[in-house]
Amino acid sequence: MYSNRILERFSNPRFAGGLRGANGSGKAGNEDSGDVVKIYMLIDDGGIISSSKFKAFGGVCTIVASDIACEMLIGKTLEEALSISNLDILDEMGDIPQDRQYCALLAEDAIKNAIEDYYKRKEKEAKKSIE
Amino acid sequence: MIKKVYLDNASTTFVSSEVLAEMLPCFNSIYGNSNSVHSFGREANAIVDRARDRIASAINANKSNEIYFTSGGTEADNWAIRGIAHAYSNKGKHIITSAIEHHAVLDSCKKLEEEGYEVTYLPVDRNGLVSMVELLHSIRKDTTLISIIAVNNEVGTIQNIKAIAKIAHDYGIIFHTDAVQAIGNVKIDVQDMEIDALTMSAHKIYGPKGVGCLYLKNGIRIEPLIVGGSQEREKRGGTVNVPLVAGFGKACEVAVRDMLINQQKLRNIREYFVRNLNEKIEYITINGHPQQKINGILNVSFDMVDNESLLMLLDMDGVAVSIASACTSGSNEQSHVLKAMGLENSVVQSSLRISFGKNISRSDVDYAVDVISKAVAKLRSISALTKAGRK
Repeated sequence: MYSNRILERFSNPRFAGGLRGANGSGKAGNEDSGDVVKIYMLIDDGGIISSSKFKAFGGVCTIVASDIACEMLIGKTLEEALSISNLDILDEMGDIPQDRQYCALLAEDAIKNAIEDYYKRKEKEAKKSIE
Repeated sequence: MIKKVYLDNASTTFVSSEVLAEMLPCFNSIYGNSNSVHSFGREANAIVDRARDRIASAINANKSNEIYFTSGGTEADNWAIRGIAHAYSNKGKHIITSAIEHHAVLDSCKKLEEEGYEVTYLPVDRNGLVSMVELLHSIRKDTTLISIIAVNNEVGTIQNIKAIAKIAHDYGIIFHTDAVQAIGNVKIDVQDMEIDALTMSAHKIYGPKGVGCLYLKNGIRIEPLIVGGSQEREKRGGTVNVPLVAGFGKACEVAVRDMLINQQKLRNIREYFVRNLNEKIEYITINGHPQQKINGILNVSFDMVDNESLLMLLDMDGVAVSIASACTSGSNEQSHVLKAMGLENSVVQSSLRISFGKNISRSDVDYAVDVISKAVAKLRSISALTKAGRK
């Protein structure tokens, strides 16, 4: 059902867990209907994602897609990160069952929500400093 | 080499040595076609007759000729639902079943719906029991068949089959039950329980895969599903698979003979397993009926942990369990049984079916619980759900 590559990454995900000091975090999915992915990012002053981690409630593909998403994020600008699509993640995953491909959509949504969260926090900070 | 522990006996069991010994001569020694009139055929037919007698006696059928061999439980379910519905279509086109049937029954009902039949899918309570009140309310003048699973294959809940059959007969309706998970676990007496049609399968009771039967009480009409020969009293075409049937007969005999001792063992193992689980892992829920259940099936939800991920981690350490039933794994569909019982999605999505076999030891349980507790801890440490977020 799954390739050895997928299973290897599933059993040893490199970016699983929380991220201390994250300044952007995004959630996708809903536990009332299925998988949930949370992506955390640490964006440095130069606007580069210096670190990223994930937490997930989901199957093998959801964990692997999230792990791949974190790897893709690191070293990218926010603009570059916004252009990551589920197809890029699927490409990196290789062959997975058709009915599991939604996992890459979840990862993409979590990335977008995390970036949005970062901008919202920035905006808040900016407003505060003006006041 | 890693230790291996098989906890998926509700999917299938190994073939016991007694059963295998019964089958082996039928491959190359007694190899005649049981429908042939010559001595080779008669010799094979004697084997088939003996198997039929053994199965009839295991469920206390009035006559051995009420047993019809099939390719397994799925064919027997398909045949019972469609064959009986078709045979009585002049009387009516309404069927009653439950929301927690095996897909062999549910999909047969769907087929009938496509043909213009109407089907009522009875709801169940949180323990998986069909409501008698709902059953009574759903009976109509044109209802011809009620089919309710005797023991659910995912949670092990035992239905009140005798009471349901009685209600069916009060209204002149035929009653069928899928008893694939019941044989060897609970006493089945088709006469006492007033069962008209009953599905059985060999490979859940240490018999071979690919063989089952439909018990059909004499006098109940059915249209054939498979045609092309006069076998099985012209009701089911195809050469009888003598070795498998011989194994099935023996497996039934042994299942009933050893039922008490096996049940005692399974009850002890289950209690030991649950005690160990509770000691090692927090936030677990056992799904199904607390008392009215078989000992061999344990359905557990591990909060905040996805069941597919858990299953795969356990597999990597040699522990085999299942999600929902083997017949639906491979698709991302979560258990229709647990959903019908009204459990929240996160509980359904974190449920595993652990099913014990008669060869399991306490050291197997120790190993399995240890592996499960490590895997659960690992997945909880990276789970996107939190205890606070759970209802």
